Amino acid sequence: MRKKFLWGIVFILIIAVISAGCSSGNQNSGGNNGNTNAASPNEENGKQPAQKELPPYEITMVFMGNESPDLERVAGELSKITKEKINATVKLQPISAGAWSQQVNLMLASNEKIDVITTSSIFGFSTQAASGHLLPLEDLLAQYGQGITELMDPAYLNAGKINGTQYAIPTNKDMATQGGIIMRKDLIDKYNIDLDKVKTVDDLDHVFQIIKENEPKLIPITTNTTFSPIDVLAFFDPLVDSLGVLPGHDNDLRVENLYEHPKYAELLTTMRRWYQAGYFSKDAATTTEQPYEVVRANRAFSWFNVMKVGSAENQSTRTGMEMVALPLTEAVSTTSNVTGFMHSIPKGSKDPERAMMFMNLLYTDQELVNMLNWGIEGEHYVKKSDHIIDYPEGFDIKSVRYNMNNSSYMFGNQFLNYVWTTQLEDIWEQVDQFNQNAKKSHALGFTFDSTPVRTESGAVNNVKQQFKLGLETGTLDPEKTLPEFISRLKASGIDKIIAEKQKQLDAWAESKK
Amino acid sequence: MQAKERAYQWFINAVMALLACMCILPFILLVSSSITSQSMIIANGYSFLPREISFEAYAYIWNDAERIFNAYGVTILVTVLGTVLSLAVTSLLAYPLSRKDMPHRNFLAFFIFFTMLFNGGLVPVYLLYTQFFEFKNTVWALIFPMLLTNAFYVMIMRTFFQTTIPVEVIESGKMDGAGELKIFYKIVLPLSLPILATIGLFQTINYWNDWFNGLIFLTDSRLYSIQNLLNRILLDVQYLSSMDFGTAQDDLMAGLPTETIRLAIAVIGVIPIIAIYPFFQRFFVKGLTVGAVKG
Repeated sequence: MRKKFLWGIVFILIIAVISAGCSSGNQNSGGNNGNTNAASPNEENGKQPAQKELPPYEITMVFMGNESPDLERVAGELSKITKEKINATVKLQPISAGAWSQQVNLMLASNEKIDVITTSSIFGFSTQAASGHLLPLEDLLAQYGQGITELMDPAYLNAGKINGTQYAIPTNKDMATQGGIIMRKDLIDKYNIDLDKVKTVDDLDHVFQIIKENEPKLIPITTNTTFSPIDVLAFFDPLVDSLGVLPGHDNDLRVENLYEHPKYAELLTTMRRWYQAGYFSKDAATTTEQPYEVVRANRAFSWFNVMKVGSAENQSTRTGMEMVALPLTEAVSTTSNVTGFMHSIPKGSKDPERAMMFMNLLYTDQELVNMLNWGIEGEHYVKKSDHIIDYPEGFDIKSVRYNMNNSSYMFGNQFLNYVWTTQLEDIWEQVDQFNQNAKKSHALGFTFDSTPVRTESGAVNNVKQQFKLGLETGTLDPEKTLPEFISRLKASGIDKIIAEKQKQLDAWAESKK
Repeated sequence: MQAKERAYQWFINAVMALLACMCILPFILLVSSSITSQSMIIANGYSFLPREISFEAYAYIWNDAERIFNAYGVTILVTVLGTVLSLAVTSLLAYPLSRKDMPHRNFLAFFIFFTMLFNGGLVPVYLLYTQFFEFKNTVWALIFPMLLTNAFYVMIMRTFFQTTIPVEVIESGKMDGAGELKIFYKIVLPLSLPILATIGLFQTINYWNDWFNGLIFLTDSRLYSIQNLLNRILLDVQYLSSMDFGTAQDDLMAGLPTETIRLAIAVIGVIPIIAIYPFFQRFFVKGLTVGAVKG
């Protein structure tokens, strides 16, 4: 009996050793494959004397996404393009969104070899830059990134700077947002609601009243904890964290406390009025359900959402019924809009020059960008006309063997992308118009570094969490609670944060002159 | 007298039944909510009897069936291998510490105890295992870091050896000419089955439930363990549905049953451990009682 047990252990250990051997063997052979691949086009490359002096190199690109079955094949095809142009092959390393912060910060901290990485103000870009994980890009950009500098508006490019040093290059995409409300078209038509009369937030009372009276089963406005209506209808530049803001996106660069601003109090009163009239659900301050799901389940009429080109169409697909998108604020471009997705070169890169050359291709090479986003033509997508594409016969978004979650805003120049049959045909012209018409916040390009006031930020955010949603959904009475909120914020040190922000903003404005 | 006894029995049973319900009801709610449709949950809230049976969440997960079976394979391999290795290392460390004739044993014991109070933090741990051991994207990354030995288990096992195995037994082995190794695995280990089973069970559960090592050390999806995979599916769904900067991704999100997926994932993750638990429980109870009586 005991012998059998011992043999069992030995057996398992043997299996373990063998399987470990196999797996490392696979990796080795994978590496060798990479090398042989790299070697063979190299010979062809001899025909191109211009690039001859560049030694072969493998560019590791880390980005947010999931592994697709055909990822390595697409990387192979991409490598053919890059081999020819910059004598480098490409290795794609997707990291899933859920694991992103954790894994990327460890990879950066341990100096792993990464050449191009996605950075984002949502995922701690300023901390990564401040910790010295990212390389300064000015010189590289001037030398190898002319394609990028020619293409990008300097105002947007500057948003990738921290303390005057360029650490990231924003992807070229929609650069502004607009706050508004998404409503069900069937009900608007049914009750003959004239949307032309709705110009401001206070004009909405009338709409909600009709819905409340005639459709007692529907919640007129649904909301959730991710965005409150006031976040969406921002009349201010949040300067990253909304602690100290620029009202009206200008205010002569004077940072103010949002929660003391009369306009904020006014909006809270509106929310309170709506809450008391029953336009919000009773649990508006705590529910985490996605608004479009609530509408989809036929439980609600509308929700406040940020808007872009094609919002009505997108939300209609999400809810499964026709929706109307009604903008209520002007389109404004702030730092957070621009820095949502950027490319950086980490310190672990063995050849930053080549990484910049590759980045340059991401902004200029249409074939490369489309292959990265949509895969190989004929296999992962088919062309309907010159720039219109669709899935091949018998495939859809779930079954296609290469799928980047359609996150084309994450890579280089989004305007180079082909257009899907489900999209507006002239979407990129429209987005371009939208960008050009959008107002630029006076502080566009300024990124606040909260490290000097880290303690205060923590304390203030705790207070904010306690009051914000309750107030901004009208659940709490602003007359009683707002003064308490403000005094608690002051006790936690919000004034110190605002002073620090003002100091950094002044320095930033000075450096721009 | 008898009436009093009966009342007492009723009371005890009622309390126990209540406690059992508190454990079982949420689980039933979980299962029944996972087999209803997303819009039903949003419209009517959770209910014990699903108003509408729908397996859309399971269908979504079934799309990933290949990955899920692969992940189960990884989990089982890691759990078995990890538990065996961990028991070997823990007992080999605990036994010498339990011997009074071991030189510097107090210093060594303190050294181990020290790790319970302080550790290097995440970044040094990551650096050590990726750059010194090169465990990144290997199955070892799921076995060695943080799980293999636990100072607390070493201490428990040392105390067990000290209190239940008389020095005389070891000495008698020595007199009969057995070496230290032979004494260890012919005499000490067989006498310590209860503690081995108990710690083995703890470790099995630790390895089964571990997702954190996978989260930080793996980028190769073929090596994802089941908990890691489920955790990732969950986080990705949350992320996809909360972010609003995509344009075309809305096609994908339109039909995603996020709420029910979360529940279905919990069901899939918990079922195997429920199936295995009764077989281990026997040892578990025995381990605790044997330890108690003799200790």
